[in-house]
Amino acid sequence: MLRVLALAAVVLLGIAPEPSQAISIYTGWERHALVGSDIRLSCSFFSWRFVSDDVSFTWIYRPDGSRETVSIAHYAGGEAYTDNKGRFKDRVEFVGNPKRRDGSILIKNLDFSDNGTFTCDAKNPPDIVGRPSSVRLLVFENLPIQAGVITGAIIGVVLGLLVLIVVIYYLMRFLVARRVFSLSVSKHGKKKKEGSQQRQLWTPPPLTCYPLP
Amino acid sequence: MLVLAGIVVLHITTIILLLVATIDNAWWVTETATTDLWGRWDLKNLAWHYSELQKYTEVQSDFLQSVQATSVLACVFTILALFVFVAQLFTLPKGQRFIFTGVLQLIACLCIMTGASIYTAQLHTADKGQYGHSYILAWISFVLTGFLTITYVVLRKRSE
Repeated sequence: MLRVLALAAVVLLGIAPEPSQAISIYTGWERHALVGSDIRLSCSFFSWRFVSDDVSFTWIYRPDGSRETVSIAHYAGGEAYTDNKGRFKDRVEFVGNPKRRDGSILIKNLDFSDNGTFTCDAKNPPDIVGRPSSVRLLVFENLPIQAGVITGAIIGVVLGLLVLIVVIYYLMRFLVARRVFSLSVSKHGKKKKEGSQQRQLWTPPPLTCYPLP
Repeated sequence: MLVLAGIVVLHITTIILLLVATIDNAWWVTETATTDLWGRWDLKNLAWHYSELQKYTEVQSDFLQSVQATSVLACVFTILALFVFVAQLFTLPKGQRFIFTGVLQLIACLCIMTGASIYTAQLHTADKGQYGHSYILAWISFVLTGFLTITYVVLRKRSE
């Protein structure tokens, strides 16, 4: 029995997978923004190792409807490099804190031509195996209201009011009933008290001795 | 006893009609499309395709959302009214009217009236086509909820 257990332990340890060395990168899924505004695209990663000094972030842009990609921001060796030749020239800024695993960038003064997919690739040597994550940017002239926001708001407010009114109604009834009850009790008690007080007030007249005629 | 059963049956019928009006996709129909508060079915090359209404009525999406909200609220209030009616049947003292139930039904009536009116006034003002059966059911539900409101406000509880 013991031998079987030992054998099983060895087998399990043998086939147990080593702790995963892959790095997981997180960005948003889709971002909406107004023309002319700024937007911060966030990128963070999870790694089993501490943040190394050689941590690097790379942002790659692919316009909507095109297959070509272009790098627009890069952070490596403690230095941030941004686009100084392409369409994002002077418009992109590295605002992340790599020590805190944050590799976000800020894009200023958005235009309709900025619609596209932004991919963030982070590396934390020796943790370099990871899948870059993409966020889709949509630039609008005026932000459309999300589907269902107004619907949900109206329904929520009306039902909330109904619940509130019912609660207040029953609370008032309860309070009024309690007051009536306490009033009747105090009235009954007062009557009893008054009776006993009167008896006390009425003291028998002092006995005086009249001399006998 | 018969009157009671009749009223309950009518109330349940109203609930069913309201639910069908809200859920079934037939507020506005054309030869190749049917649409309602939630989505739109288009017939393309002998196959039906579903699409979200957001893209279809971008201009009127605010009004559409308010119609969605009011028709859902109408369903909720009329179902609540049924439960409250049954509860009041047991708890109301003799000779009293079913005011709470009547109030809930009144709110449901007003909600569906508001919703159907907004739909009529703001949506499909320039489209070709006609109103579908869900739209008609919405108005019929308005009439029925109105009638039920009056019934509940007038009805007095007799002894059980």
